[in-house]
Amino acid sequence: MQNKFRGVMQSPVTPLKDDYSLDLPTFERLLDFHVRTGAPAISWPHHKAESLNLTIAERKLFAEAAVKTVNGRVPVTIHVSALAVEDTFALAAHAQKIGADGILAITPYFWNPAREAIYDYFVRLATSIDLPVISYNSPSYLAGVEITGELMARLIERLPNFVGVKEASFNSEKFLEISRAALALRPDFAMLTGVEYLLPSVPLGGVGSYSAAGSICPNLCNATFEACMAGDWERARDLQYKLSWLWLLFRDQYPSSLKGGMVTMGRNVGPTRPPLPTATQERQAYIRGQLEELGILDSEPYGW
Amino acid sequence: MTALRLGLVHTPVMPFGPDRKIDFELFGKLIDFHQREGADALALPMHAAESVSLPEAEKHAVVAFAVEHAEVPVIAHVSEAGSALAAALARQAESAGAAAIVATTPYYWTPPPAMVLEHFAIISGAVKIPLFVHNAPDDMAGQKVTAELMIKLIGRLTNFAGLVDQSLDWQFLIELITLAKKVRPDFQLLAGNELLVSAAAIGATGLFAPLAGVAPKLIRALFDAASAGKLVEARAAQEQLAALRQVMKPGGAPQLKAALRHMGRDCGDPRPPLLALDAVAAKALADALGRMPALAAERRGW
Repeated sequence: MQNKFRGVMQSPVTPLKDDYSLDLPTFERLLDFHVRTGAPAISWPHHKAESLNLTIAERKLFAEAAVKTVNGRVPVTIHVSALAVEDTFALAAHAQKIGADGILAITPYFWNPAREAIYDYFVRLATSIDLPVISYNSPSYLAGVEITGELMARLIERLPNFVGVKEASFNSEKFLEISRAALALRPDFAMLTGVEYLLPSVPLGGVGSYSAAGSICPNLCNATFEACMAGDWERARDLQYKLSWLWLLFRDQYPSSLKGGMVTMGRNVGPTRPPLPTATQERQAYIRGQLEELGILDSEPYGW
Repeated sequence: MTALRLGLVHTPVMPFGPDRKIDFELFGKLIDFHQREGADALALPMHAAESVSLPEAEKHAVVAFAVEHAEVPVIAHVSEAGSALAAALARQAESAGAAAIVATTPYYWTPPPAMVLEHFAIISGAVKIPLFVHNAPDDMAGQKVTAELMIKLIGRLTNFAGLVDQSLDWQFLIELITLAKKVRPDFQLLAGNELLVSAAAIGATGLFAPLAGVAPKLIRALFDAASAGKLVEARAAQEQLAALRQVMKPGGAPQLKAALRHMGRDCGDPRPPLLALDAVAAKALADALGRMPALAAERRGW
C-alpha cells in the first residue's frame, strides 16, 4: 500500500491581524489556495506557522478550521509538538476528535532527553490515539537530540501507526541511517525532508517533503517533485537550485521573510509574533527583488 | 584553468612496520592494489593515512614515493596548523610531481573567516598546481567552510579547483554549487566519503573514498552508477556502503587498519597516540564485517 503522505505537502503559515490576533478568514483562504495549487496534503502548525507562539486554545481553534476548510479534499495532519509534552498529548487527542488524518511530533523540546525517554515519549503519544503518527527529526535545532536509526527501528516495531518521519537534518548520513532502518521494516514508511530538499533525498528513498516555499511558488514545488520522481535529474537539479535559493532567503528571519514574500505575491498574511521579527519594508523589497530575479513573479500565481 | 578533473580518488592508509616506521615496500604494494582495484587517482597522506602523525620529512617522502610509483595522478594532502608550514608542504609536493594539493582549514586554531581565507591563499599562492579544499568538520572539531568563503576564494585564487566535502550538508552544498557555477563553471564538487548519491544528485562529480582499501569493488560500482546519472539504481550500493561506514566510522584510523587486516591486507598498527584495536574490539569488527554480504565479492589479500 502506498503511504498517503507523499509529494510536497504544504504547511500553511498562520495569518495574523495587525494586532497579532488570529486572522481566520485569511487562514481559510490560504488553505484553499494550497489545495487549489496542488498540495497533496496539508499540515499545520509547523514552526513556520509560529506554533510555539500560539496558545494551545488557538492551536485547537485553527486545527479545527483546517480540517473543516480542507473538508477531505486532501489529508490534514496536525503538528502537536509543544514545550510541555502534556500539551502535546492534549493536542493529539484533539486532532483525533476533530477528524484529522494524522499528527506530526518532534522529539521533546529543551530538555536533553535520554534515548529511552524519547522512545517512551513516542510510544505514549502514538498509543494515546488511533491516528497515523509522523515523527520529526531536527537535530540541529534541538541541540543534537535526534531519532537514531536504531531508535526508529524500535518505534516502528512497537507502533503500527508510526508511518513516517519529517527528517530535517539535511544530511546524507543521518537520512541514510534512518531510511535504511525504517524502510527495511516498513517499506511504505514515508521518508520526508524538512523543507523541499527533494533532489538529494528522492534517490535514497525519499517520497516528499514539507514545504517552506509553497505559499510563494507552488508550481515550482510540484515541478521539482515530478522531475525527481521521473528521474529527470538535469531538470530536477535546475529546479532544486532555485527552490533551495528561496529556502536560504526564507531561512533568514524565518518565517517573517516568508510572510514578507507573500505580500509580493498578493497574499498578505500580516505580521509575525514577537520575539520573531516582522519583515520590514526594506526586507520585503529585497525579497521582491530576489523573487523577480528568479522569475517567480512570472511563473507563479498572484493573489488568492 | 585546470584540466585535472578528479573522478574516483582512493585515499590509502599508511603502512607501518613493527618499529612504527613507514614500510615503503608495503606502501608500494598498497598503491598497486588501489590502482588495480579502480582508483582514478590517489590522495595522500589523508587523515585515513594518519597524516597528522607524520613529520614533515616523512610527508614529503610519502608523496615523492607515490608520485614515482603510481601511474595515476597523486594529490598531496598538505594540511597544517601554520599557513607557511602548509605552503612549504605544497611547494615540496609540486616539485615532487603531485598533480594537485588538498588542504583542510588550519589545525587547532579557529581563526576568523578573513584569516581562513588568507591561510588558503598562502597555500595556493605557493604553487601553480590546483588546490582542492577539504571540508571535514567531523575531523576538525566542527570547523567548516562556508559557501561565502569558498566564493571569495574563487575570486582570489585562479588555482582553486574544487571542494572535497565531508559535511554531507545538503543546504551548504546546494548553496555552494549554485554560487560557484556562476563564477567558475568548471568548479569541482567531490564527496569526501562514500555517501555519494545525494552529493552526486546535487552535482558532485568526484569522490574521495577512505574505505577503498576495504571495499573497492563496491565503491567503484557506486561511483560508476552515480556518474552515469543512475541515482536510483545506485541506492543499493549506497546503502551497503552506509552500513559499512556506520561500522567503521566510530573507530577512525585504527578501525580502518583492523579492517584491512581482516581483509588480508595487513598494513600494521597505527602510530601513537592512536591505539590499535584490542582483541575484543578486533573480533567484534571482524564479526560485523563478516555479516556484510556486500564484502563477499571483495578481494581477500593483495
